[in-house]
Amino acid sequence: MNSSMIRIVLGNVLKIEGVLMLIPVVVALIYGESTVPAFLISAALAIVIGQLMVIKKPKDTVFYLKEGCVSTALSWIFMSIFGALPFTISGEIPNYVNALFETVSGFTTTGASILLEVESLSKSILFWRSFTHWIGGMGVLVFLLAILPMTGGSNINLMKAESPGPQVGKLVPRIGRTARILYGIYIGLTVIEIIILLFAGMSFFDSICTSMGTAGTGGFGIKNTSIGGYSPLIQWIVTIFMILFGVNFNAYYYLLFKHFRQALNVEEVKVYIGIIVASTLAICINIAHMFSNLEQALRASSFAVATVITTTGYSTVDFDTWPAFSKFILVILMFVGACAGSTGGGIKVSRFIISFKTIIKEFHSYIHPKSVKAIRIEGKTVEHETLRSVNVYFMTFICVFTVSCLLISLENQDLVTTFTSVAATINNIGPGLANVGPTCNFASFSVLSKFVFIFDMLAGRLELFPMLMLFNPTIWKSTFTSRINPRRRNWEDCDKVRK
Amino acid sequence: MSIFKNHKEDHKGLNIIVVGAGKVGSTLVEQLSKEGHDITIIDKNKTRVEALSGMYDVLGIIGNGASLTVQKSANVADADLLIAVTGSDELNLLCCTVAKHVSGCSAIARVRTPDYSEETEYLRSKLDLAMVINPEFEAAREIARLLYLPTALEVDTFARGRADMIRFKVPKESPMVNNQIANICGDSKTVGLICGIERNDEVIIPSGADVVLAGDVVSFISSREESKHFLKKFGFETRSVKNTMIVGGGRASFYLTKQLISAGIETKIIENNVNRAKELTDLLPEATIINADGTDMEVLKEEGLEYVESFVPLTGIDEENVMLTLHARQVSNAKVITKVNRTAFKNVINSLDLGSVIYPRYITSEAIIAYVRALKESMGSEIETLYHLFDSRAEGIEFNVRENSKLTNKPLKDIKLKKGLLIALISRKGKIIIPTGNDEIMVGDSVVIITTHTGFDRIEDILA
Repeated sequence: MNSSMIRIVLGNVLKIEGVLMLIPVVVALIYGESTVPAFLISAALAIVIGQLMVIKKPKDTVFYLKEGCVSTALSWIFMSIFGALPFTISGEIPNYVNALFETVSGFTTTGASILLEVESLSKSILFWRSFTHWIGGMGVLVFLLAILPMTGGSNINLMKAESPGPQVGKLVPRIGRTARILYGIYIGLTVIEIIILLFAGMSFFDSICTSMGTAGTGGFGIKNTSIGGYSPLIQWIVTIFMILFGVNFNAYYYLLFKHFRQALNVEEVKVYIGIIVASTLAICINIAHMFSNLEQALRASSFAVATVITTTGYSTVDFDTWPAFSKFILVILMFVGACAGSTGGGIKVSRFIISFKTIIKEFHSYIHPKSVKAIRIEGKTVEHETLRSVNVYFMTFICVFTVSCLLISLENQDLVTTFTSVAATINNIGPGLANVGPTCNFASFSVLSKFVFIFDMLAGRLELFPMLMLFNPTIWKSTFTSRINPRRRNWEDCDKVRK
Repeated sequence: MSIFKNHKEDHKGLNIIVVGAGKVGSTLVEQLSKEGHDITIIDKNKTRVEALSGMYDVLGIIGNGASLTVQKSANVADADLLIAVTGSDELNLLCCTVAKHVSGCSAIARVRTPDYSEETEYLRSKLDLAMVINPEFEAAREIARLLYLPTALEVDTFARGRADMIRFKVPKESPMVNNQIANICGDSKTVGLICGIERNDEVIIPSGADVVLAGDVVSFISSREESKHFLKKFGFETRSVKNTMIVGGGRASFYLTKQLISAGIETKIIENNVNRAKELTDLLPEATIINADGTDMEVLKEEGLEYVESFVPLTGIDEENVMLTLHARQVSNAKVITKVNRTAFKNVINSLDLGSVIYPRYITSEAIIAYVRALKESMGSEIETLYHLFDSRAEGIEFNVRENSKLTNKPLKDIKLKKGLLIALISRKGKIIIPTGNDEIMVGDSVVIITTHTGFDRIEDILA
């Protein structure tokens, strides 16, 4: 285990976070708020500690998948620890555990909050909350790869660990440029949303925060009513952008570089759109009687579907009051999640496509026991390795989910709350149903439960394995054992002494 | 925004497609990605592609590199160079032909079957290829050079064969020992330069005041005739070997024997496979072909390993080659040259006393890297040849100077150069000049630079 390279990655991540924390300082200065020192202290701490970590150059720059996973998991933990400081130092979320929950929820783009109401918070803190979504959406390590020319080619392991989806590939030969293209698309789409929201009559500050929340598929609102208080036009715009950010970014790359046929051929996106349309229609019909006209019903249903499938977590109406059929569709969508390679969470549409096709293949093998059949996606055969990893992912997901539910059940809440609170955090959505529904929050949970949620959010965002790796003792053992010096150790000499 | 600014800077590297992830392919990927190029590797074998794209910052594509669809998915239209190094010559040529038709890229193919070896130049010009490489042939040529001058550990040629850089070990009793370099090279009769000393894992680019010690490995550069005079003066043998024994009758062995026979060196090949041995007698009637197991000590003894002047194990297995070399060094005084294909255990091999070691993979990649660097920067100067010297810790680069620049027409003593760098030689109209402070670089010269820096593309890079 190359612990010095992990140290370098962590140090750089902290430095980047420190610099990014200076942006809310600007917001605080503009609005003349007293949070300036809180952000400056946190930023200085992150930068100084980050700098201390990168001073010593590593001897060996080898970087394998395990190093990639461990440094990704640790980066996200460290980022959250430092990102929570402004909340506590400024006194707006005095309890550090709550601040940590809020920050993790922000970076992992969950959007679950412990705050009873948000309108009393200062603008700069609200901005930081939304900004964490934006940073976490595309991932800070992808950002690191985009700006830092890293030596050694094995950096793909960092991206593999952070980017969601069963297959992580590069768009162009250089990983740095791949990361830059992804961020370029990300920034571009965010800016477009800001502009459109401005034209729709939203204030500048609101449109920036809302756009960042949409872009990262996060869902921290800056109003107590989330998006519900805004005009129908704005609600529609946000709905569309949520769906857009849930699309596999490779499709945008194809569009941008004029590979239109490839862009239209992305099977995952087709299925994703199909699921959205079907669920919206089903829910719309189911809830139509609750609204005065069809537009309202369609708006509410499409917003709810978009917010849940992309795992954003904004809300307009309280879907907890909807009929069970609609609620259940939403619960299913929680697990489906967005496309791989998007900013959304969940299990991902592509995994469901693959496992669905596996089921069909299994049926086929009952009818023709000797048949040879491959699972194909977009005309390409899916490798056995990928199938295996998808199956294992499902199993692991169920295990983590079950254990988390068990731990949360100690709260003695009702079954729906227990189940959906874990589903909402592990899938990075935010609101669940019943006591954690769109109008409620996570403040009432115990400290233990909050840490379970924090773990679930991180595990869900990093696709389980990087976080689970931290519990593997061999990882820690190899981190702390130094390499054997070949000159010092000489078995033959020992033998001579013994004789 | 910085994100977009960097986007352009990044384009400094070339877009290179490598087809074939075999031995040469992976060495190329390793070296070229270190040089900062954007590389796409294509191979049919998934495991190999994944290993390479996991190890280096390159894009891997699985498929047949000669197929247009696969090449298109590797974005061949934007490529600057395609290098085809699959196991099959015909496939390599097809890859290049296909690529040349869809994009304006240059193409390099590996063609190594002896059947085509006479026609490489014809193929190159007809198919409009930038280069045709034949690693076995190049390796054979390098081995032959060493057999012509067995004193040397390594001979690298510059200025189209007019100048040699000779690497040799200084024995205890040599008059060179404990002498200053100024005294060794300074006398007006020798026109040459000691441009590198390797001493205990350390590489020194020496000045006149440095002293040569016993056991040093010294590199000396001069014109071909002068180098022999120089070696003779210090008591080294300078005649070529009279006979040689080769174990293994592969392609490299065929090319080597062909060259040695034409130079009048008696050659014996020991080949285990009857059919191949018969084939070789057809191809090489002047050589002695023995059908026996060359790794058998008795066979070697019977064929006179003790009395042979040089011994070259060229089996396909590195371990066998190394063992045979060690054995030969024990039982005879023959000049031994070891061919090592895999570069993975280089340190282990260097720590053994093997004498001259040849790495065919490096020979090929050096030639290609020289071409790639020249392709990248073909403005004022151009790289003619490039060698990785002293276990890749230094580079010897020969530049063709084609335009006037800050460097030309100025006495060298007035030019501020980077540290760890030496202008070793200037070749002007076929004449070799070992430069002093008063010499000047002129347009049309070719200049040899020895440097511990890496990645020089053009001669202006030597300026401080």
